Amino acid sequence: MIDNGLLVQMILGALLGLSVYLPMAAGQLSLATPAFYAVGGTLAALLSTQDNAQAGITLGAMVGEMFLAAGLTAGLALLVGLPVLRLRGIYLAIATIALVEIVRVAILNLPFTGGAAGIFGIPQPFQQPLGYVLFSGGLLAACGWLCQRLEASRLGRSMAAIRDDELASRCMGIHTTRVKLTAFVASAVLAGITGVIAAHYLNTWNARQGSFDVAITTLAFVILGGSRSWLGPVIGGLLLTALPELLRPVGDLRLVLFGLVILLGPVLFPQGLITPALLERLGRWKP
Amino acid sequence: MSSSTKTEAGPWLELRQISRQFGGLQALSEVSFQVEEGEIFGLIGPNGAGKTTLFNLLSGVTPASSGTIHWRGQAMQGLSPDRHNRLGIARTFQNLRLFTGLSVLDNVLVALHRQPQGSGLDALLNSSRFQRRQSELRQRAMQLLEELGLADQAHRQASGLAYGDRRRLEIARALATAPALLLLDEPAAGMNPREKEQLCELLAVLRQRHQLTLVVIEHHVPLLIQLCQRLAVLDFGRLIALGTPEQIQRDPRVIEAYLGGSR
Ligand SMILES: Nc1ncnc2c1ncn2[C@@H]1O[C@H](COP(=O)(O)OP(=O)(O)OP(=O)(O)O)[C@@H](O)[C@H]1O
Ligand SMILES: [Mg+2]
Repeated sequence: MIDNGLLVQMILGALLGLSVYLPMAAGQLSLATPAFYAVGGTLAALLSTQDNAQAGITLGAMVGEMFLAAGLTAGLALLVGLPVLRLRGIYLAIATIALVEIVRVAILNLPFTGGAAGIFGIPQPFQQPLGYVLFSGGLLAACGWLCQRLEASRLGRSMAAIRDDELASRCMGIHTTRVKLTAFVASAVLAGITGVIAAHYLNTWNARQGSFDVAITTLAFVILGGSRSWLGPVIGGLLLTALPELLRPVGDLRLVLFGLVILLGPVLFPQGLITPALLERLGRWKP
Repeated sequence: MSSSTKTEAGPWLELRQISRQFGGLQALSEVSFQVEEGEIFGLIGPNGAGKTTLFNLLSGVTPASSGTIHWRGQAMQGLSPDRHNRLGIARTFQNLRLFTGLSVLDNVLVALHRQPQGSGLDALLNSSRFQRRQSELRQRAMQLLEELGLADQAHRQASGLAYGDRRRLEIARALATAPALLLLDEPAAGMNPREKEQLCELLAVLRQRHQLTLVVIEHHVPLLIQLCQRLAVLDFGRLIALGTPEQIQRDPRVIEAYLGGSR
């Protein structure tokens, strides 16, 4: 039922879930992930379709694009984050939605991004979906490991403290702006490099890839999966990306069922599927 | 009597003509006093007198409307709360602001963030140096919890602590930032008389051991009289008395404004 093609999308979903999770781990409700995802995807689409040769692209070249996307999104996140992270709660969410819209409209209207139709014929570094599964799976594993290390380190502890009480954190001498900005930049970079992989995998890229819908979907990954550990958004991203596809046999009913899951998920699992208590029970193995 | 040996020019902590308005409300008006190095300084006054507001100014949480604060020769105007802490001023909160989602130990570990941690690379690789540093940090945190009598609760979630224990955890967390000046906002509130007595002894010990200057807000006047070298009395945002416990107890204005009401 789950073929490699779906598996790639699930892994990309998990990566985007992690991107939403990172600022949230520092108490910041940012919905900016699709904006950086779109920047990464558009960058990859533009760079790899430069010379019209259909020669394809090497894995090395894609990794190069990922580094470029990382640099670009990090710069953008620093620029945007400094003013925007002064906002709290729902105001930050609204400001980041505005960012998503600005980026979407910009990509839609720039003279070289193909307008509404977008960019086609993006070359593939892998001939089979399996290549993408292994590559993005490796990236997901690396990100999980990084998050795991983060939680054991000072930065992770400071993030958790800010999430609990920002003013108390400041009074303990924590440079809260720096910590929040770091989480925001990490989130942006992760979304940007995920966009690069997605553009190549999808073969085509347009402004709709980074729309407000994506912000809500990726937020649902974190809410359903749970936001107390990095494992939550990963599980949420995998499950919620797979679900619409798995429900395909039931026809039009699938969207209703999908909506129902998103609606009932938080009611049945208010803390998400992956809670600290669950992790505690799972053999005292605490990610 | 406090006889301080000043290591720096000027007083240890000096407030000059400090005022703070909230809209039309004058929460503090032209308060001036000095705190000497190493002393335990008490701050009393009826509800709404402006005591917590004064702490908010001293810790950089809110700016003064006018007036200046000098700490170890430095003007503190416009500095952020984190900057205040880095300069050696730590505080506790009257309304308890613990990191309730974290364990008791983690609350203290968070506050030890300026201690050596090992580099980012060490953290990534979980190197032996990183592990050593982290275990040193945990030891330091446990030591602080021990001093506050919380060691056996180290692994509980902070939100699960009894009220008095939460107040002590606030102190442990503030101490972890290695302050020179510690501001305690009603540290004994909600404690029973025995706990209050113990806290009083504990604060004297902590001052010695950590070379602290303490400013303590407390409604329970006998505790402050026992603990402090000097007391300041606020009433409706004004400083109405300043002196030794003996002087304060005899001051007719204080008796009228504050002590009188509660006797
Ligand atoms: N942020 C604020 N905005 C508006 N008014 C405030 C604010 N903070 C304090 N006040 C007002 O300033 C006055 C002094 O308050 P403050 O909390 O400093 O009193 P306090 O002496 O600590 O009292 P208590 O003993 O009850 O803790 C009160 O009238 C209070 O309502
Ligand atoms: Mg108060």
